Amino acid sequence: MTKSNSAVMGWRGRVFAAGGLFFVAVFVTFIVSLIAADIFYIDKEAVTEVLTSPFIRHALWMSLWTSVLTTLLSLLFAIPMGYALSRYDFPGKVLVDAIVDLPIVFPPLVAGLTLLVFFSQTSPGRWIEDSLGWEFVFQPKGIVLCQFLVSASFAIRSARTAFDEVDRRYENVAMTLGCSHWGSFRRVSLPLAKNGIIAGGILTWARALGLFGPLLIFVGSFRGRTEVLSTTIFLETSVGNLEVALAVALLLVFVAIIALIMIRVIGHGRGVKL
Amino acid sequence: MIRAKKLSYGVGDFRLRQLDLEVAAGQYFVLLGPPGSGKTIFLECLCGLKRASSGQVFIDDRDITTLEPRLRGIGYVPQDYALFGHLSVRENIAFGLRTRSIGQKEVARKVTETADMLGIRHLLKRGIAGLSGGEKQRTALARALTLEPKVLLLDEPVCALDECTRQEVCALLCRVHEQLGLTTIHVSHNLQEAFSVADRAAILDGGTLQQVGALGELLRRPGNEFVARFMRCENIFFGEIARKDADGMPEAVVDGISLCLPDSSGDLGDKVEFMIRPEDVLVVPLDRPNGDQRNHFSSRVEHWRDCGDYIRVELNGQFKLVAHMTHAAFTELKADNSSELGVILRPEKVHVLGA
Repeated sequence: MTKSNSAVMGWRGRVFAAGGLFFVAVFVTFIVSLIAADIFYIDKEAVTEVLTSPFIRHALWMSLWTSVLTTLLSLLFAIPMGYALSRYDFPGKVLVDAIVDLPIVFPPLVAGLTLLVFFSQTSPGRWIEDSLGWEFVFQPKGIVLCQFLVSASFAIRSARTAFDEVDRRYENVAMTLGCSHWGSFRRVSLPLAKNGIIAGGILTWARALGLFGPLLIFVGSFRGRTEVLSTTIFLETSVGNLEVALAVALLLVFVAIIALIMIRVIGHGRGVKL
Repeated sequence: MIRAKKLSYGVGDFRLRQLDLEVAAGQYFVLLGPPGSGKTIFLECLCGLKRASSGQVFIDDRDITTLEPRLRGIGYVPQDYALFGHLSVRENIAFGLRTRSIGQKEVARKVTETADMLGIRHLLKRGIAGLSGGEKQRTALARALTLEPKVLLLDEPVCALDECTRQEVCALLCRVHEQLGLTTIHVSHNLQEAFSVADRAAILDGGTLQQVGALGELLRRPGNEFVARFMRCENIFFGEIARKDADGMPEAVVDGISLCLPDSSGDLGDKVEFMIRPEDVLVVPLDRPNGDQRNHFSSRVEHWRDCGDYIRVELNGQFKLVAHMTHAAFTELKADNSSELGVILRPEKVHVLGA
């Protein structure tokens, strides 16, 4: 119950620890029960149908690559943004902070609507689609853009917090040891902040993988084209095909569990604590 | 040589005020001051981690004020060492070398050489977590020394260590200094530490240099009351030169008592502030004859305390005094609280502040 390096524990300490572990147990049991209920509910045909359907396989592939690309794109923004917001002060920083966090509190449907309005009703949006030829509306590219809008803030927020926790004196010492600002960032701040950044990446990926509301509005759910697993679940449920929807949901849960365990196992070997 | 010329810096309400300080090449210099006096900020201005609002910094007559920290040739060991927790001891020590175009073999040779000098070769494969305070200190020092800096800045390098390790590390710092001949500035608030490593020091308070000089000079000839009190002198008096004796020595009146001062303490009517160090207060049996009757008073032991190295005796007679006595001298006196004793303040041991 206790780690070998923890303090000697009296009965009050044991009650306190048991209290914390009780809530862990309740929560885990709740989640596992839900998944177990789904497993017992679905029948073999639904599972076979899901596993053999080329459209579902395509949706799974779309879900994976778009969510991974969204995560990488988010981290590409999150790392420099998190560092800049952590280290530099500038006029209007409070407002910028609030805007960065805004997508977290955005109702997801609003994000889809906003994107649709921007690209179909405004001249900058039409210019991007028509002149630059970057089409997003009802296109696979739009899935990434939509996921990025809704989930990148998690990565940015986590990166900022991670850099906040890296004492600036480490960078200072690195600079007296011959590093430029970039060198001290790359060799000191980034490795020290990596746990927080990776945790933000996982949150971003999870959010992107499960997103469906704004996707339905912005890119639709065209079989074999813009369909992802989360939209499949919604569409199958809406036509009353509950067993197939549940089988797809379990596939999504299975993929997520495998990915989360893999990240932890690989990360643990490289000193990442999540 | 490193020199600060009219160096100023401000943060919030705090100001470093036009500091002028020169540390000669190869000198081990201690910067003393109470917490919050600006010692760390001053060091950070010297190594370029803080941009001075005005003034200049020179190393060997080269103006480095606008140079980036990495180009200054200054080794810096911060207060809590700031060792990189994601790297091993070896990688920490090699950190600076890897910013240069130095081959792997040369890096390994330099790391081993520095680790040998500081006695931490056996730690090279270890991580930072789990190192003792002394081991961390040596690793941080090794990391700063591998780049062969011209100047070494040590910010309270031993303040977090236990007494035994502190003495050990101070001895190591002296040895490294002798071996490498580095110009070193060592920040501290501890007098014992300062005496164990350096012979020249400055005292900083409120962002202003109070006095610069040999440690003995700061101890026995402080320039003002702050320096005297910082150097742990408690016997500070205010008086007025009322007359001169037959030999022309000035006499100051303090609380109605006449005290003979050294020559050139001032002219008649001058207000003077003077001090005598506790270890210079001679405490003698009351009936001991004294050839020289100047500054010989009777007093009573109000309280005494064994401080380990010495006995601290608080005396209250015609005025309050604190004396530091050896155990042998105190035992010989057979004194206790309320004992009546004689006190002699040799005029040559009395120092007029600011004189």
